[in-house]
This record gives sequence, C-alpha cells and structure tokens, in this order.
Amino acid sequence: MNALVECSGLAAGYGGAPVIHDVSFAAGAGETVVVLGPNGGGKTTLFRALLGEIEPMAGRAQLRDRTAYVAQADRTSLDFPVSALDVALMGALAHGRWWLPPSRADRRSAAAALERVGLAAEAATRFGELSGGQRQRVLIARALVQDARILLLDEPLAGVDPASAEGIAALFGELSGDGRTLLVSSHDIESARRYERVLCMNRRQVAYGPPAETLTRAVLEQTYGSEIVVIDGSGDRVRALAVQHHDHEH
Amino acid sequence: MPSPLDLVDLPFLRTATIEVLLLAVAGGLLGAWIVLRRLAFFAHAVGGATFPGLVVADATGLRPIVAALAVALAYAGGVHRAGTRVGGRAADAVTGLLLVAALALGVILASDVYHSGARVDRLLFGTLLGLDGGDLAAAAAAAAIAAVATLLLGPAWLASGFDRAGARTLGAPVGLADALLLVLVAVAVVTALPAVGALLTTALFIVPAATARLLARSVPGLLATSVTVAALQGVVGVYVSLWADVPPGSAIAVLGAALYAVVALARAGVRQLDTA
Repeated sequence: MNALVECSGLAAGYGGAPVIHDVSFAAGAGETVVVLGPNGGGKTTLFRALLGEIEPMAGRAQLRDRTAYVAQADRTSLDFPVSALDVALMGALAHGRWWLPPSRADRRSAAAALERVGLAAEAATRFGELSGGQRQRVLIARALVQDARILLLDEPLAGVDPASAEGIAALFGELSGDGRTLLVSSHDIESARRYERVLCMNRRQVAYGPPAETLTRAVLEQTYGSEIVVIDGSGDRVRALAVQHHDHEH
Repeated sequence: MPSPLDLVDLPFLRTATIEVLLLAVAGGLLGAWIVLRRLAFFAHAVGGATFPGLVVADATGLRPIVAALAVALAYAGGVHRAGTRVGGRAADAVTGLLLVAALALGVILASDVYHSGARVDRLLFGTLLGLDGGDLAAAAAAAAIAAVATLLLGPAWLASGFDRAGARTLGAPVGLADALLLVLVAVAVVTALPAVGALLTTALFIVPAATARLLARSVPGLLATSVTVAALQGVVGVYVSLWADVPPGSAIAVLGAALYAVVALARAGVRQLDTA
C-alpha cells in the first residue's frame, strides 16, 4: 500500500515532555480514519505535527499529498462579512497564483463544490448565519476547491444536530470514494464504526486497526480510562460512551 | 463662518483637502483590513509610538516622515516578533508596553532635551498649515500601495483572518502576507502624521472602517464604505478645523466618533424594530 499519511515512532509536544509519543500508523488513498481519544489525549497535537506546525520530537509525521485542514466551524471568524461562496473560494488560493483575484474557473469550482456538499442554495448566505452543520459543509467545500487529497478534520461533528451529522458522514463516504484520505478526530465512539480504521489515542497510540478489532472494551478502557461508560459489554459488540468535558485542548 | 468653497479656493486648504482625500483611500482600505484582522490596537499604537521620532525630527530639522518611518518600522518589527513568539493576548500586552515606552521617551525628549514647547501640540494632533508637496506625494504613495496591496494580498489576508489554521494549508504564504500587513499599516500611518498627528491617526485608519463594518455585508462593500466614510469625515473635518480653529486631527476624530455612534445607535434601533 502506498501510504499518503504516515507516522512512525512519532513523539510531539510544545517543549518539555512530549504530549504524544509512540504513534505509528499509515493510511492509504481513499481510507477513512477516525482518531478517538479523550480531551488532552493528543488528537490536536497529532494533527499539528502532521501539518508541520510543530516539529516531531522523535520519529516522523508525513502527509504525502495536497492536504486541507478543516477546522471546527466555531473556531473560524463567524462575524466576517463573507458568504458561503466566499469561503469556498478561499480554497482557490491553493492553486498557485494566490496573488491574482479569483478567476471564473475558480468561481465555477467553488459553486460546484457547494453543490456537491448540498449547499448550492445557500451560496450567497453569510457564513455566520448558517447552521453548525452547514458551516462544516462549507469548510469541506473549501477543501474540495483546494482539491485536497488528504483532509484532516477536527471534530467535524461536534455540536452538529444528528440529521446534519448523518449527512456529513455520508459526504465522508463520497469523498473517500473519490480516493481522498480522511483523518477525522472525534469523541463519538458509536459513530467510529463507520470508518475503515480507528486510531485510539491517549497521549500514546493505544490501538490502530479496523473498528471490529479496535473498539473493544479493553482498548476503550485504556483509551478513555475513567471517562468511559460501558453501556453494554455483554455481547461481542461493546457499546460505550465517552464522558464529554467542555474544556478544549490546544 | 467660512465658505465651504474655501476648501477649493484657498491654496493651503486645497492642499489639506487633497491630503485627507488621499489619506482616506489609504486609511479606508487598510482600515478595513485592520478592523477585520483585529489590529486596531496595533494601528493606533504605531501612530503614537512615532512621537519620539517626531520630536527628534522637529528639533534637528530632519524630515519628520523619515524619522517617524524609522520608529514605526522598528515598532512594527518589535510587535511582530513578540506576536510570533508569544501570540494572542500576550502580544497585545507587548503592543501596549512598547507604546507607553515610546510615548514616555517622546515626552522626556520634548520637555527636557529639546524643549519643544508649543510645537508638541502640532506633532500630536496635526496641522492644516505647512502641508507641502512632499506630504502629498507620501500620502499618494500610501494610497497607491494600499490599493495594490488590497488587490494582491486581500484574499490571503481574508483567508488568514477567517481561519488561520485552515489558511496555512492553502499554500499561500499567509505568514508573509500578515507580516506585510503590519509593515503597510506602519508606513501608511506615518504618511498621515503631518495632517492628523501622532495620537489621532486612528481617526482615519480605524474609525471609518469600524463604522463601515456596522453596515457592510461583503468585503468589497466594507472596503468601499470605509473609504467613503473616511473621505467624508476627512473633508468635513478639515472644514470644521478651519471654522472652529482646532487641529484637523481632533476635528476629524470627533466627527468620526459621532458618526460611528449615530450608525451604531441606528443599527441597534433597526434591530429592535425587527425583533419587535
């Protein structure tokens, strides 16, 4: 397999002790990976190391194709006077000649991306006036305009209503069908089964593999420690919920 | 009461009017980016921080713009360095600390070293008299640079301000674009010093854009409204300055603040009607 995303023996942090260590995994084209872990477990640190914002303290973190980072929608400037189309158009900056104003082809590509994420009708709506789920879709449309082959998505389903979350999850399936690789950080253990691979992180890599192998009681307890609530551990399929905390890791 | 036609007929007023119109272009355009990028404190501080440079220039016969430019660029460099090292709110603290140090240095120079006396007033609040071709040329250059930069760097400034983490993956050099914004603001603010003074550059560089921000629904709309408000405020300010015999900087600042208040109140009123 030709890995597009690869970490080997990665340790990273912000000076002092590493926040994450012993992270080794690889994902190929079209694979969807969900990164599970508690707050402070190092999901964000892993993304920052992959994006090159922080230098690895040991090992390697590599992205081998065009990458887009899709932030949580509420971490963007919601009060900016920009429409959904304006935001999608920002992806055109990635096309090389960023100092030129957006071309007609850029505008067409932005409109097409909005259509693809199901928001053609909202192109002129101000970003801040869209719902949480719609904002997340617009940010994904921007990644499409960027023509990113790898998408790193930071908690894209946090604070999104269940119906929208369902739609966004379906969109992930389509993107992976295009051959794009998705790394999605999440709190939601139940929805993690939708992904091809699960990376369980708690300051170190606890497990990496298909959901059936990784979402076991033992792995989840190691990942979440006391934050886990096992709802039904009797069958071969563990049902569990992570206790949510509302502080943010950085 | 002087006739408004004096703004065109009297040579020194004509110069002042052209000066504020050119500054309205630079201040209106860059002001829009300053407000979007939350750089208002920096833009205000960089003007004030030039004060010691102006005092030295005034006493030694150096061209004020040159001395102020040197101080402003050093100041921008200091803030940028601090910002990339400590980031966020701590950078604001550095902006404030450096401003206070610069103002204190200026006061000591003006009172104890050069005995600048009444001329300090003019350095701080600007003057209509004595604006010359050099000042106009500097303001014209600032207007041209602001327009070109808005065209070329605007999209990168917008993307970076909207979502910095996401913008970094766009491949455009957003870090460089952001550093250039600080430099351009420093340079443009310096060209406004002769007319509006070190303490009140805010009147042309932040207040009009802040007013426009209340009204605009798009970025082009914000830029156009901001320049229009700055021009209006500037020309009326020059007239009021002549009529009331106050420094132009203060007249423009008071007008700008009043206009902002009126627009903000009107907007709040409209919203209340909407929800009622």
